[in-house]
Amino acid sequence: MNLPNYFLADLPPEATLTGPLIAEACQTLKRNRVQFLAQRSTTAIIRVLCEVAENWQKKNYPFRQMALEEGPQKTGFSRHTLERGIDDFFSQITEENLETLLGQELGHIKRLDTFSASKEERIGDRTSMVTGPDMLVHIAAGNLPNPTWMSLILGLLTRSAQFVKCARGSSYLPRLFAHSLYEADAKLGACLELAEWAGGERELENALFAEADCVTATGSDETLADIRSRLPIRVRFLGYGHRVSFGYVSREIMSDWTLPKTIQQAADDVIAWNQLGCLSPHVIYVEHGGALEPSLFASKLAEELAAREAAEPRGPLDVPSAAAIQTRRAFYEVRAAHLPDTQLWCSANSTAWTVIFENDTNFQLSCLNRFIYVKQLTDQEELLRTLEPLRHQISTVGLAATDVTAQKLALRFAQWGITRICPLGRMQKPPLTWRHDGRPALSDLVTWTDWEKDSA
Amino acid sequence: MTEQRPFHDFARRLRDAISRASKHPDSLGENEFQSLALDLFKLQYDHMVPYRNLCDRRRKAPSTVTDWRDIPALPTTAFKELDLTSLPPEARTHVFHSSGTTGQRPSRHFHNADSLAVYEASLLTWFEKHVMQSAAGFQPAVRTLANLNAALKTETSLPSPSPLNEERAGVRSESNHSARDCLKFIALTPSPSVCPHSSLIHMFESVQQSFAVGEPKFYGELGADKAWESRFSEVLAALETACTTGQPVLLLGTAFLFVHLLDELEARGVHFHLPAGSRLMETGGYKGRSRELPKAELHRQLSNHLGLPDTAILCEYGMSELSSQAYDLICGSTLPRRFQFPSWARVMIVSPETGLEAAIGDTGVGRIHDLANVWSIAAVQTEDLAIRHTDGFELLGRAAQAEARGCSLMAR
Repeated sequence: MNLPNYFLADLPPEATLTGPLIAEACQTLKRNRVQFLAQRSTTAIIRVLCEVAENWQKKNYPFRQMALEEGPQKTGFSRHTLERGIDDFFSQITEENLETLLGQELGHIKRLDTFSASKEERIGDRTSMVTGPDMLVHIAAGNLPNPTWMSLILGLLTRSAQFVKCARGSSYLPRLFAHSLYEADAKLGACLELAEWAGGERELENALFAEADCVTATGSDETLADIRSRLPIRVRFLGYGHRVSFGYVSREIMSDWTLPKTIQQAADDVIAWNQLGCLSPHVIYVEHGGALEPSLFASKLAEELAAREAAEPRGPLDVPSAAAIQTRRAFYEVRAAHLPDTQLWCSANSTAWTVIFENDTNFQLSCLNRFIYVKQLTDQEELLRTLEPLRHQISTVGLAATDVTAQKLALRFAQWGITRICPLGRMQKPPLTWRHDGRPALSDLVTWTDWEKDSA
Repeated sequence: MTEQRPFHDFARRLRDAISRASKHPDSLGENEFQSLALDLFKLQYDHMVPYRNLCDRRRKAPSTVTDWRDIPALPTTAFKELDLTSLPPEARTHVFHSSGTTGQRPSRHFHNADSLAVYEASLLTWFEKHVMQSAAGFQPAVRTLANLNAALKTETSLPSPSPLNEERAGVRSESNHSARDCLKFIALTPSPSVCPHSSLIHMFESVQQSFAVGEPKFYGELGADKAWESRFSEVLAALETACTTGQPVLLLGTAFLFVHLLDELEARGVHFHLPAGSRLMETGGYKGRSRELPKAELHRQLSNHLGLPDTAILCEYGMSELSSQAYDLICGSTLPRRFQFPSWARVMIVSPETGLEAAIGDTGVGRIHDLANVWSIAAVQTEDLAIRHTDGFELLGRAAQAEARGCSLMAR
């Protein structure tokens, strides 16, 4: 199956993009939006989205088949990783979940269609509605496809024309999703554009920014600062900086009874999208003082990753990523050879998985691709002290604890500045209603109109 | 305490081999390398506990290893973590540090007079072959090791012609290896007294002592944040003098200092046409000290601004953890550029995925087996990505994220 040339990202690599070309593409998108999208009802949009999402979960859906067949070569993810990622994402896109999202963020599911009032507004004889940006631009990070898929869905809900700028070599899966929308509803598809270039191409980006009403961007702080400095003042900017995540296992979980399930959950988080997202754990912290030693958690996790590699292989890596793993392993191998409280487990003759155990609380960035640190600690306070330099840069904590302990830990994590706490095993599977980095993903995009009625 | 005798004996054996190889390049063949490497492995395994621990962990010992390729290599990061030396503490008269990220513990490579003598035997032989080479269209370079009677540490007793007279002379002979034809060395870095732990600056001093006229001279200093800077007004004056007198020069420096030099030349709108026989050796990465230029672009701009042919611009590859260096070209010879170590330091480009040697044309990570690392560790696993070729290797740069504790997120 060959994809038709609907989007700039479909053009052969030798095609040159120019500023005027980008500007023209944006103007076409805006015209199409007025004609095909602006007057659609929320219900109609949700219907199309759910139909496409259901299709993606069907084994014989051509776009899914294409993603699974060509995806490993185009993206580096194994077929299994892609399959798992696609199912996890699209199973969330249901009518119920989308309506819950609208209710949560806008207070009423019709808010994007017409004036409507919540209970509180009715009391004050007020009513309100929201409108999305006419032209929404996404600067996508490119490590994982699902944030870009989600951005497109949110932008369709707000009836925005959308331009997605993908990082070099990362447009394949976003493109497939856009094509699937186009196939389901060509008029919706005509309000989307995708292109790929290396970030920092001034001519292209300035042309794009000049047309934008709202820009979302994911990347390093430097990238975000650079983009923000180049946006006209009227343009709304939503920047998502780099975040890191970790797992936390409380001591009462460290028993023969609860450990096996917790190990599986930890492996789920390491394996999901090969650990490449901001929500994937770099470190799993394990409290000592339980019935079992934290180092046992590490050795059991190593066994689990070895077993899972057979059924759910990570897939091949490019040489630099493999070299990063090998170099890091070599460092810890030296350390393990002379420090008894450093231990290393890893796949033989491959870089498929690595577990490092350290009796050192300092947060450590993993080189990812199924390379996980297990660190033992005394308690949460010890952890928060060592995490101080990373305050406000932590996204998710995957928690394994009893209900009572979880309550206490979660409160403290929230007060400290962590924006998402979820059960271990679900770190890379946030619900649709997740507030991205603590911000409401949908309502950040919209603008409100309040209508105070004359009650006389 | 480490028994030093066997190390001295090995060092003598190696220096003999290097001396023979300098006259007959093929003399240090696979068999002799194998024998030297296995003997050195036994010495290093027996005398360095951290190394032995690692070898034991990998189940490799002198009694079982029969091929130098199987000798366990230590990652460069291990030199930050451990004191990897067979020199007893009181014998460690010099130490070279890696130029790591600020706030990190640097690699440490300890030396004494004996280990430095091996270092210099290796350095000078290979440097002479690549950098001091005179070739078609080039000035006959220079004093050679051979005609200087090569004895290390005897350099200071040699008569040094006055640089001033030499510059004034401006007479060049195409065939006569007289002192007058010596290259004038312009090292852009600070001097060894300012940076006593830089192996690169030590190298620049050694090659000047052996091949340059007069006392070693350095045109750099430490900037406000301890970054290396060059005194460009002096550099430019030296280049101008060279052009006036026809005195060929050898510029030595890091890539980032050369980028600064280019910026300076650009700002002043200056172009030089350096005298025939002039050459330039650059080394190292940018380390965030300047804007980064791809190698070919750096060379093109240097060539344009200095009037040097591309084949007079050489890259050196070395590191503080090693005692030998690789060069990507013999000055004046034909391209393509391929890094080559001398026959007493061999490189394997290893696939990081499998740990096996990469196929010709494939990319892997460089592992260097440097016999001149007598008192340290011979087998060093670098973090540098390279393409393996039949006639050497092509450097691609440092593996991303290789540094365990250097991420920008952590540095804040």
